[in-house]
Amino acid sequence: MKTMTTVQALNSALDLMMAEDSRVYLLGEDIGKMGGDFGVTRGLWAKYGAERVRDTPLSEAAIVGAAVGSAMVGMRPVAEIMFADFMSTCFDQVVNNAAKMHYMFDGQFKAPIVVRTATGAGFGGGPHHSQSVEGWFMNVPGLVIVAPTNPYDAKGLLISCIEDDNPVLFLEHKALYRLKAEVPEEKYNVPLRKASIARAGEHVTVVSALRMTQESLAAAGELAGEGISVEVVDLRTLRPWDTETVLESVAKTGRAVVVNEAPKIGGLASDVSATIAEEGFGYLKGPIQRVCGLDTPIPFSVPLEKIVVPGKEDIKAAVRKAIA
Amino acid sequence: MVSDPKLLLRLYRDMCLVRAFELGLEREFKRGNVPGMLHTGLGQEATQAAIAANLKPTDCFFPDHRCHGLLILAGTPGERIMAELFGKATGICSGKGGSLHSADASVGNFGNNAVEGSMMVSALGAALGWKMQGTDRIAAVIVGDGTSGRGEWHESLNLASTWKVPVLYCCVNNGYAISTPVAFSHATGDLCEFARAYRIPTTQVDGNDVSAAFEATQAAVQHIRAGNGPYFLEYKTWRWQGLFSGEFRPPEEVRYYREEHDPIAMARRQILDQAAATEAELAGLERDVDAQIAGWIDFAMGSPAPDPAKAIADVYVGWEVTPR
Repeated sequence: MKTMTTVQALNSALDLMMAEDSRVYLLGEDIGKMGGDFGVTRGLWAKYGAERVRDTPLSEAAIVGAAVGSAMVGMRPVAEIMFADFMSTCFDQVVNNAAKMHYMFDGQFKAPIVVRTATGAGFGGGPHHSQSVEGWFMNVPGLVIVAPTNPYDAKGLLISCIEDDNPVLFLEHKALYRLKAEVPEEKYNVPLRKASIARAGEHVTVVSALRMTQESLAAAGELAGEGISVEVVDLRTLRPWDTETVLESVAKTGRAVVVNEAPKIGGLASDVSATIAEEGFGYLKGPIQRVCGLDTPIPFSVPLEKIVVPGKEDIKAAVRKAIA
Repeated sequence: MVSDPKLLLRLYRDMCLVRAFELGLEREFKRGNVPGMLHTGLGQEATQAAIAANLKPTDCFFPDHRCHGLLILAGTPGERIMAELFGKATGICSGKGGSLHSADASVGNFGNNAVEGSMMVSALGAALGWKMQGTDRIAAVIVGDGTSGRGEWHESLNLASTWKVPVLYCCVNNGYAISTPVAFSHATGDLCEFARAYRIPTTQVDGNDVSAAFEATQAAVQHIRAGNGPYFLEYKTWRWQGLFSGEFRPPEEVRYYREEHDPIAMARRQILDQAAATEAELAGLERDVDAQIAGWIDFAMGSPAPDPAKAIADVYVGWEVTPR
């Protein structure tokens, strides 16, 4: 074990996979000598060369398209899109090409690509560097969306994604990049499609992902002092998400709060809430609460940003309301 | 000019097969037997024969929406392409792809992304993968003039040139998007200019002259196969099919292409001029082709609808995820 930041844990995953499998290569903007905008690929260009750590121009459609085409001939590309907001410029390649290929060609082709991208608010990035984009992609059959909460999961999930045969959108929250934890130096897997119980509890289930899981854990810690026992379910894979673990938890607690940084309308929290209502209504002792971003773009000014992005206090209020 | 009589006859037969396929398909479409939309390659048979004759089964190609001909010439049993277009169980994609998405991995047909022009970046990726694997394989992409305004075009041309990867760009310029003439909507009517701007060698050829189209394609393939990077071919051609609402092009243009510059009539004249075959031999060949197509249509008409289980199969690779 070694203390690593999320950035270092991700770097370790890429390093191990590139060392093990010559089909694995990286492409993206400024990922080479510079090591990426957030340093995730640092050192890999020197170690593996410019062929396998491939700097591109600002051509997101070509980055993802090239990843898909090369995956069709047996490569294992890991593409980096600098900010999740920029996924709008390669949407077609993810949605219409990678995600549908296996289905529409009757299983003849697969597109085992990983598209890593930095998501989320919290640092004054403004409207085009702060969005949470999972909602854009929730409605895309065939796509896998993975979202780690901590350094350990980040490494194990990224390794699982590179090994998986499905196209993966891998969301890395900017506010979690510097988070530190004990992480094994060797290779290990964290399973896809499997949520984790980030904190066990009895009275209420909080379902969350990414930075909102960290906020939920902080809220749960403080609520424990009020005698409220909160179970935090960290989804880890957002699509297809682990209904079983969520419903089991709700069956136990009878109350559900669903947290998502993105706006409420049409988002992850809506699908999770609707599924709990549809399949777990009998377990519920009261209405499901949703804690989401406001239905606005993300403003630049940090005090304004704090108004539209949910946090620990909003989660605490929702939990109190759920058990009231 | 192709002087080898055997090759010339092969190209002629291929073109006749494509025309008979498309005419038969169009007839069945009008009778209501073919679902969806229909875009035929009528009038563009020479380009498809020229491309097919120059690719190896180990190469790949990304066809466009008027490429039924190329799909059958690549070696897929024709009745399975026909059945796919009819949406039947015996189709090459079990009826899940249809006219716009008929892929066959076994012959290097990597399928169409019907967001036309998007395959420009897929081909870039396939070529990159093969180059990284040290093969001499080629990735061909067939695109129309109508998509040359898409960003994917320019992202692909720029990176293929920068990376020197083996892409054969086959631009089938039939003069119009759906109704908009190229010169009306583009800064240039000479699409080779786009490729030259990215320092890719180009050839513009009469796409209705199968001899010229074959030789231009052959030279381009040799250039790429020798490791020189991408090549851009512009085949000037014309499609028979007008708009759904009827013919919109100038009457003189229609008359010229249908009566004086029809690729099949032109090839037929060349064969007779060169005495590569007799009139009677050609008539026999044409009858054989018609009979073959009639058999494929019978096969498609007589095939069952896909197994209902196919509707939910192959959304993910290797995962038993029941769609909710």
